[in-house]
Amino acid sequence: MPSTMRLYKALSGLTAAALLVAACAPAATPTAAPEPTAAMAPTEAPAPTEAAAPTEAMAAYEGLKVEAESCDYGGEIQSIEAIDQYTVKFTLCYQDPDFLSKIAFTVFAIQDKEYLDATGGDSVAMSEQPNGTGPYMVSEWRRGEQVTFTAFPEYWGDAAKTQTAILRWNADSAAKFLALQSGEVDAVDNPAAQDIEAALTDPNMQVAGREGLNIFYVGFNNTIAPFDKVEVRQAIALALDRQRIVDQYYPDGSEVAQQFLPPSFSPGFSTTGDGATWYEQNIDEAKALLAAAGVAEGTEIELAYRNVARGYLPEAPPVAQEIQAQLAEIGLNVVIREIESTEFLDATAAGQVGFYLLGWGADYPAATNFYNYHFANTQNLQFGEGYTEIFDTITQAGQISDPAERQALYDQVAALIKRDVPMIPMAHGGSAVVYSAAVEGAHTSPLGNELFYVMSAGKDTFTFVQNGEPAALWCGDETDGESLRACNQVYDALMAYQLGGVAVEPGLAESYTANPEGTEWTFSLRQGVKFHNGADLDANDVVATFEAQWNAKSPNHVGREGNFEYWGAFFGAFLNAD
Amino acid sequence: MTTSTASTPLLNAEPITEHRSPATEALRRLLKHRSAQAGLFLIGALILVAIFADLIAPYGFREVFRDGKRFEAPCVHLLGCDPAETEHLFGLDGNSRDLFSRVVYGSRLSLMIGLVTNIGAILVGALIGAVAGFAGGWWDTVLMRSMDVLMAFPSLLLAIAIVSALGPGLINALLAIAVVSIPVYARLVRASVLSVKDLEYVQASRALGASPIRLLFTRILPNAVTPVLVQGTLGIATAILDAAALSFLGLGAEKPTPEWGLMLGEERARALSNPHLLIFPGLAIMITVLAFNLLGDGLRDALDPRLKR
Repeated sequence: MPSTMRLYKALSGLTAAALLVAACAPAATPTAAPEPTAAMAPTEAPAPTEAAAPTEAMAAYEGLKVEAESCDYGGEIQSIEAIDQYTVKFTLCYQDPDFLSKIAFTVFAIQDKEYLDATGGDSVAMSEQPNGTGPYMVSEWRRGEQVTFTAFPEYWGDAAKTQTAILRWNADSAAKFLALQSGEVDAVDNPAAQDIEAALTDPNMQVAGREGLNIFYVGFNNTIAPFDKVEVRQAIALALDRQRIVDQYYPDGSEVAQQFLPPSFSPGFSTTGDGATWYEQNIDEAKALLAAAGVAEGTEIELAYRNVARGYLPEAPPVAQEIQAQLAEIGLNVVIREIESTEFLDATAAGQVGFYLLGWGADYPAATNFYNYHFANTQNLQFGEGYTEIFDTITQAGQISDPAERQALYDQVAALIKRDVPMIPMAHGGSAVVYSAAVEGAHTSPLGNELFYVMSAGKDTFTFVQNGEPAALWCGDETDGESLRACNQVYDALMAYQLGGVAVEPGLAESYTANPEGTEWTFSLRQGVKFHNGADLDANDVVATFEAQWNAKSPNHVGREGNFEYWGAFFGAFLNAD
Repeated sequence: MTTSTASTPLLNAEPITEHRSPATEALRRLLKHRSAQAGLFLIGALILVAIFADLIAPYGFREVFRDGKRFEAPCVHLLGCDPAETEHLFGLDGNSRDLFSRVVYGSRLSLMIGLVTNIGAILVGALIGAVAGFAGGWWDTVLMRSMDVLMAFPSLLLAIAIVSALGPGLINALLAIAVVSIPVYARLVRASVLSVKDLEYVQASRALGASPIRLLFTRILPNAVTPVLVQGTLGIATAILDAAALSFLGLGAEKPTPEWGLMLGEERARALSNPHLLIFPGLAIMITVLAFNLLGDGLRDALDPRLKR
């Protein structure tokens, strides 16, 4: 769809001029952000502060505006506009109850416009010298080893409690735990179940449990034989003993998944109808289905996975072998293939893997985050040819704010997924971060958002071990939790998630207002915020950052792979995508 | 006729042992050799275990125990384990499979790895060494310098490089190990060929009109059998170790193959919490390698004429 991106110069266009006059006139009284309207209930918004410097007349500000010519292009955003130096307005094509949660996500963290232009939006180039507004600056990324962060002295919030933070990674759960036992590191993400048990009785350790806002699933690509046959997918669903997998390979606090969504998601999790519970194990029926599909006994299929520990799947290799053994009972000969993590994610998203183990941890706690990314996202080919019924129902549900209406649609989605079996929901994994007892401020986030700057181990460095290496240190085009955790330390988004929680609170935007329909959101930026490169944060940085992802024709629309999967999942479609 | 009958008693008076063939003599010395005895015994036992793995192992190597807890410690009824519990001599592994059965089945793989890689390497190495030594000149230079290049790499690193290029898997690992073993045999055979190719009996054969191929295979190469046999036995031990190392690094056998090195690699971090996962496959590797080394030492002593008592 054709659309335009226009640069509004102050006083050059009538509409813009009117807006600018309102915002920038050398007013005697400070311009305050308008009162939040009741409709969207922004309970967390603090009292609006002085938005514009009252004493000096603001120089004419060249506010950027990116806009779709019409909403026919299929996405959620209609326009993003820098109204004045510290005010940004988003206009949406339809209401989105999760809008604030979405823009709080690290992938939509704000970048300096000049830096973005200078690096051409290339995530790899931006990872060389990451530039954010967060509490930590990246001082070194030693590939294959660690990322070292140094406290940013001009951070707008509370200063980091530890001058140097180190992020390391190790795919081996037990080796990570040994490093913690030896005092080499201060925190270990996702240790194995047995190690968590050991830590609970160890006086030198503290265990911070993390709620299972995640899903481990066995995915199928319906363009790769024999998974193109729904009978084969159903047969595998019927053959698996999911309870045993949870009992054997997951820590306490985990549960067998009945649906793709965790049970606490409302609206979303289906409690009535066909989709409320998954298939019970039934070997005979599974064999019959395979026979009906013409799959002979001893047929070889390949099961791919990546060997990284996740909250949703603490130990992939033994689970893969367990599934291999379970499927041998219905006569399928499973060959296991381990693929390097980043390569695995890219290959599944590109639709090249037929049968695989994967999972998802919540970025924000709403059904749209789980469903839209996976089943209503044209950028994501992991399940093969789109399941159109599922796609349409999910898209429709994401645009309705009435909870009951939404729930009715999500009930249909759960039933459709059970019928078509694009994947088998396996488990919601409880997980934990184990800290050494000396760590103050130890916490976990259900979103995997642990922030190092509030923690201290009583020495000048704080070392956190996660499961894998980040793919990049600018996360606009990343989906992997390993990269996102690193980015969380360095960048801020307009909104932020509460520390250790899921509630949304102000981030770089100090306050916001919305119109009663929930389609116009105006954010007032914090003033005096500095980027690590010394630049000041202003509204154009926000517009440029969002444009780089949204506008497929933008010179900065580069990223790492150029997929921008989260944009597709959260906001539907790209501008100028053709 | 009369003279010969007259001389018979004289011949008969000599000790019988003087008339044994060199092979019988060597075998006799080998069987008397202490370390060779130990090696032969262990290898014999290993071969029996490998052949009768189906009978010895109580369970399949892929069989998962639904009711067992993973990493369960060994339960031996004779040693006081509760008879109500299922007996697992070596305990359960990380997928609730009987570790004893896996170690037993692993013997098949390890013996197969040792034999296949060495036979392959000996065939290729011997051919290269024989051609280089016999043809000499330009052939010798090209073949032996390429062997020198192969030997210049640390063998395990070279094997890792080969597997990385071909992709992980047991067959590729075998290939890689065979390739890195070739130069040793090539050198041995070339040395043997060089030492005898100008001796009188060879020249006599040549003068009688024997073709070069016939000369090489019937007159010259038999001299290389002894050193190759010794080296081959020791080489089996090295090959088993190399294969275990490759599997340990995730470049050899694929899960859930009961390969000892792979079993060690999968559970390497559990050395402190669940040592049985490492002790038993580790012991199996150690005993096998030790057995072949002992036998190799014994063979060398038995076949070396200078050590003859």
